[in-house]
Amino acid sequence: MNLDVRSLRTFSRLAHSGAEKAAGSLTTLAGIDTYVNVTKVELGTKADVENEFAERDLVSVHIGFSGGLDGHTVLAFSPESAERLVDALMPDIDATDAEGELAESSLKEVANIMLGGFIDGWADYLDTTVDITTPTYVDDENDGPLDHVDAEGFENGGDDEHVLVFRNQLEAADNAIEFDLYMVPTASSIGTIVEASGEDGALPVESFAAFSEMINDGANQASEDITAMTGIDTTVEVSRLSFVPIEGVPMSLTDAVRRGVVLEFSGTPSGYIAILFDEPSAENIASSLLPGMEGDEAMRQSAIQEIGNITTSGFLDGWANALETTIDISPPKHVHDIGSAIIDPLATDLAQSQEYAFLIDSTIRTDDDEFTCDIYALPDETELRKALKQLSPAA
Amino acid sequence: MQVYTTDTPAARSGRIKVGIADYAVSGDESTLTTSGLGSCIGVALYDPETGVSGLAHAMLPEADDGSEPAKFVDTGIELLLSEMRAAGADIDRVVAKIAGGSTMFDFTSADGDGSIGDRNVAATRTTLDGFGIDVVAEDVGGSHGRSLELDSQTGDLRVRSAKSGNHVL
Repeated sequence: MNLDVRSLRTFSRLAHSGAEKAAGSLTTLAGIDTYVNVTKVELGTKADVENEFAERDLVSVHIGFSGGLDGHTVLAFSPESAERLVDALMPDIDATDAEGELAESSLKEVANIMLGGFIDGWADYLDTTVDITTPTYVDDENDGPLDHVDAEGFENGGDDEHVLVFRNQLEAADNAIEFDLYMVPTASSIGTIVEASGEDGALPVESFAAFSEMINDGANQASEDITAMTGIDTTVEVSRLSFVPIEGVPMSLTDAVRRGVVLEFSGTPSGYIAILFDEPSAENIASSLLPGMEGDEAMRQSAIQEIGNITTSGFLDGWANALETTIDISPPKHVHDIGSAIIDPLATDLAQSQEYAFLIDSTIRTDDDEFTCDIYALPDETELRKALKQLSPAA
Repeated sequence: MQVYTTDTPAARSGRIKVGIADYAVSGDESTLTTSGLGSCIGVALYDPETGVSGLAHAMLPEADDGSEPAKFVDTGIELLLSEMRAAGADIDRVVAKIAGGSTMFDFTSADGDGSIGDRNVAATRTTLDGFGIDVVAEDVGGSHGRSLELDSQTGDLRVRSAKSGNHVL
């Protein structure tokens, strides 16, 4: 099976317009203002997706679909957002009474309203009919969140099966409620959609999977290097490759103030990288690098720059090896600003020549939540495609 | 086939969120908000007589043929104005407040024309001037990010930044 940028665009548009329809249904039927923030086409292993559900302790409602297209849709909420949504749907009922079965049935109802509309758009595009199952509520911590999702992935020749996940980040009621709408089609259904949109210049899906592996390796190396430098154990919580409309890149971040560094890298591919910490994390990491010292602002900045440097080279060195090229990294520029505004100029610069972007995001954190480090990398699309070609099995 | 839509659902809570490469119009008492302006520019337009207001968040100065209009300053402002007119605004009365267009980094890609932020600000002035619209207040340039809230009842534009806090234009 092959994937190309054109079919990824089709996917992204279908998913976005489906999500807009789904958001519109909730706005109209329940009177709750709902917006689609970002639509991402993500490529990762099933384990990546499951980890995220587990980390965030998500409550979810699943609806399967079959017919012209097979797979699963999932509406996932944090427990707090689920509670607020139920509260907004049934304001007359005491929130404590609303727990349990009543809450479960209203979330199922929301899923029915939203996911039905979401799938309809895909069926229309493919000129086919798609049946949906009744919703299943999943909050059992013992269950793998994707246990119900028997979407077969595509083989990467290794143990890790990769899946293509369409993920829409939604928010409602003035940011009080945040939730994600996922769609995981089966590999053969992805083939169906790719066929419908044409395969010009397509790359084997394995090269995307190989690139996703490379990102994982980079994130693990960065995590090891941070541990070596700070003496604090860290792990990679999540590492993802996604395909996003360029304006969706800054919208993936919130308004919260972040501190960190921004760097340019050049080679094949070239692009931008941002290493960002929330403010408490930045404080903690600076003091772990300046033990026993009352560091002033300039010292803290240089500590953050140093960790940014180390993280970036750990993250990118593996790419250069795998792609048999050299990647040069600019000196790190310290930033302390609104998160989405930090990423905005990076995306805007690329927006001059591309409408969509491959966004790489990884999160490295300590076990005790002492700090969390987010890595965002934005490679130039054309150059990345060249790099992906090099990773193709045939190359 | 057109499958992409930027339609935002009708607001009920009084806050309308404007995304990036997006715009919205309000004819009632809603607040229009947009966040994360770096080099992007926010254009707030207001007709004091009817209270019809609009907010656009554009990424780049000038559109090419066939590009998504809301992404660009020139086509974005044009679209916003035509929607405001449809909502009852009189363009002769409309005034503008603008914010954003900062230069946060010196990228190697920046050529002799100046940073994208500067070019966005210049394109905004030119486009508004072309419609005969005055810029009555502004907070542009610099090297920091901004988020905006436009009170469509008063035309007040609240600018929030990490470094200099909140102020109202």
